[in-house]
Amino acid sequence: MQRSDRRSVFWSPAGRIVPLIVICLIWQAVSAAKLVDPSFLPSPVRVGYAMYDLLAGREIRDNLLVTLARAAIGLVLGSAAGIWLGLMMARSERFRAYAAPIVGGTYSLPKSALIPLLILWFGIGTATTVCAVFLACLLPMVVNTSQGVASTPRVLVWGAEALGTRPREMLLRVFLPHALPDIFTGLRVALGFSFVLAISSEMIAATNGIGKLIFMYGENGAYDYMFAAIGCVVVVAFLADRLLLVLTGKCLRWHESTVSQVAS
Amino acid sequence: MENTANKRALQIRSVISVLTIVVLWEAVARAGLASPLFLPAFTTVLAEWWTVCADGSLPSDLLTSLFRAFAGLFAATVVGVLLGIAMARSRLVHWMFDPVIALAFPSPKIAFLPIFILWFGIYSISKILLVAFACVFPIVIGTYAAASAVNRVWIWSAYSLGTSNLALLFRVVLPAAWPRIFAALRVALPVSLVTTFTAEMVGGGGGMGATLMYSQRFFESPTVFAYILTMLVVGLVLDAMMLKIQQAFPAWHGNV
Amino acid sequence: MRAVTDNKAGNSQTEIPKVQIQGLSKSYPGDKSPVLALRAVDISIAEGEFVSIVGPSGCGKSTLLYVLGGFLKADGKVLVDGKTIEGPGTDRGVVFQEYALFPWLTVRNNILYGLERGPLPPDERARITDRLIGVIGLKGFEDRYPRELSGGMKQRVAIARTLACDPAILLLDEPFGALDAQTREVMQDELLRIWLETRKTVLMITHDVSEAVYLSNRICVMSARPGQIVDEFKIDLDRTIPREQLFTSDAFNKTRNEVWISVRREALAAEKLNAKV
Repeated sequence: MQRSDRRSVFWSPAGRIVPLIVICLIWQAVSAAKLVDPSFLPSPVRVGYAMYDLLAGREIRDNLLVTLARAAIGLVLGSAAGIWLGLMMARSERFRAYAAPIVGGTYSLPKSALIPLLILWFGIGTATTVCAVFLACLLPMVVNTSQGVASTPRVLVWGAEALGTRPREMLLRVFLPHALPDIFTGLRVALGFSFVLAISSEMIAATNGIGKLIFMYGENGAYDYMFAAIGCVVVVAFLADRLLLVLTGKCLRWHESTVSQVAS
Repeated sequence: MENTANKRALQIRSVISVLTIVVLWEAVARAGLASPLFLPAFTTVLAEWWTVCADGSLPSDLLTSLFRAFAGLFAATVVGVLLGIAMARSRLVHWMFDPVIALAFPSPKIAFLPIFILWFGIYSISKILLVAFACVFPIVIGTYAAASAVNRVWIWSAYSLGTSNLALLFRVVLPAAWPRIFAALRVALPVSLVTTFTAEMVGGGGGMGATLMYSQRFFESPTVFAYILTMLVVGLVLDAMMLKIQQAFPAWHGNV
Repeated sequence: MRAVTDNKAGNSQTEIPKVQIQGLSKSYPGDKSPVLALRAVDISIAEGEFVSIVGPSGCGKSTLLYVLGGFLKADGKVLVDGKTIEGPGTDRGVVFQEYALFPWLTVRNNILYGLERGPLPPDERARITDRLIGVIGLKGFEDRYPRELSGGMKQRVAIARTLACDPAILLLDEPFGALDAQTREVMQDELLRIWLETRKTVLMITHDVSEAVYLSNRICVMSARPGQIVDEFKIDLDRTIPREQLFTSDAFNKTRNEVWISVRREALAAEKLNAKV
């Protein structure tokens, strides 16, 4: 009785933050004891001040919004195109036959390697970043969508046919809903990619955005601000991921595994 | 027999797809539809590729990058597997590390590059550590899932046969969890390559990524294309190798 | 391989049987050579008849049903109301063994699905849906998703969904095969009740000989692969008496035994076939 009480306290939201707090305390102790050069590892207090300063000021808000906007546009466009391509691949044997090798081939190419190419084509700025995110999000969506459609049980298709579904309705009425869980899985991957590509691209080739900001703070030696900005990115990425999980739970209420998905 | 025919057909289609793209590429470039800066002819790229191979710059860059990627992957594997197993065996360890992992997993690890450069400089060691940092997450998560799923009955049997805890680790848990750990490694491999290339592109310090950026800055398009194609091929080859390894040991693949 | 064309089940006019299958053959591509699933099968089903096909596993019974449903193409003639069928249609409702319900739709929306394509106005559709939900006894579950339902409940919804389109013919592919024994009995009673009410033409595939005898007025026994109709039984039981009495009656058991022996013969032949291969 007592043991399970103790266990549930451990795992409550409050309980789960404790290790993070412990890490902060260790960090603070290390800084206070001057075990490391403070310019290499600013104390949590200083980083905290910097974060407050950043959040209060406009710099981080503006830059963060720019980055998020670029990532979002690339994500939406890339996912839409990826879903469409995935649907085409699953429904048309010929299309798949010729597209599959290309899909498989580009799987191994790190999309960030294309950034220099994109700079050659579009120069420095938003177009490059959006394009990089677009390309990165394409693949997971294509793979997951076509997998979701291809795994539709034939009994489901036949049942729909026997109920009068016309061939051109099948895609929207049967295949797409059935593929939805896989599409959401792909979206979670694509979301992660969108952040990586947006930040990478900005670090390499942009005039604004949080990636550029982090880089600049580093170059100018404002390390507490650098740490603070990185911290902001970590938090935003975490929140975006959680948000997607919540959205997934809502849209997939009907799916057997919904409960377990949200919990992870 | 049918399977071989299918495989053959797939291979032929792959070749046709690739050839079509190459031919189109060459045609568009030669027709002058795009400036040589944007789209150098395939043959030009090929010639450049040959040049950089012959003078040793591409191989040396490739070696540097691969060394960094593999060193980081190796470090991540050692740390990740041990941590994953520890988390599976001890609830305390799991409780301690789970929030950190959950918080950092969705974040773009490349954002941490400036920290690593600050602490370790711009040459190999910072890249290796960043790669290790990026790869450790999928490995820990995969190992934890695999080790937790190891059949309790086996563990109890081993205990009752007098196996010590350490022996248990090596003779029961690790072999049973290995297939899924290997799967996690297959996921971590492209992560290691991407992180290496990106870190080199952002932070310099030699390697494929750095040369790639350098070429772009000087508008050397054929070199840019040549390097990107090399990365593509390297990625394909490495993944195919891992697949072969996985298939060569069916025991590692099976559902136990 | 006897063609049966007398209709004892209903009218005695010389009208065209509801379903006519003549010389049906179906083969699948196999590993080494094509596999013949059905060989020159002839069946006629009169309107309002309940016909069951029983036989050993893998003999092609389901294939026959899929061809009649319009999902598979085969050699031979398949006529409904004298006309060749052209693919699936709402005149032939199907209930599969694995519940082919749309998991993303609620019970109500699953049943409404077929109606949405029809000519009826929305309030009429709603009325039919509500009535059917009552018929299958799932009032209160209209807004649940299939994942929240038990196996028996899912099959009820599948039946209701098929009935919504008011098909003239019902095709049932081992509809209760995946259910536990108790649920199966309940569902058989349900099905019998619905059939007695609606008198639709039914073709059912089943493994369960007792089920076939209980529900149908004609049983066809199919041989091992390649499938052919090798035996036929007319069932004429008084279905108004309670199940307990019926199942323990001599008439029922005599018929059941006859059918079972016939099926067993084919099952043993199938074993020999498999042993050879």
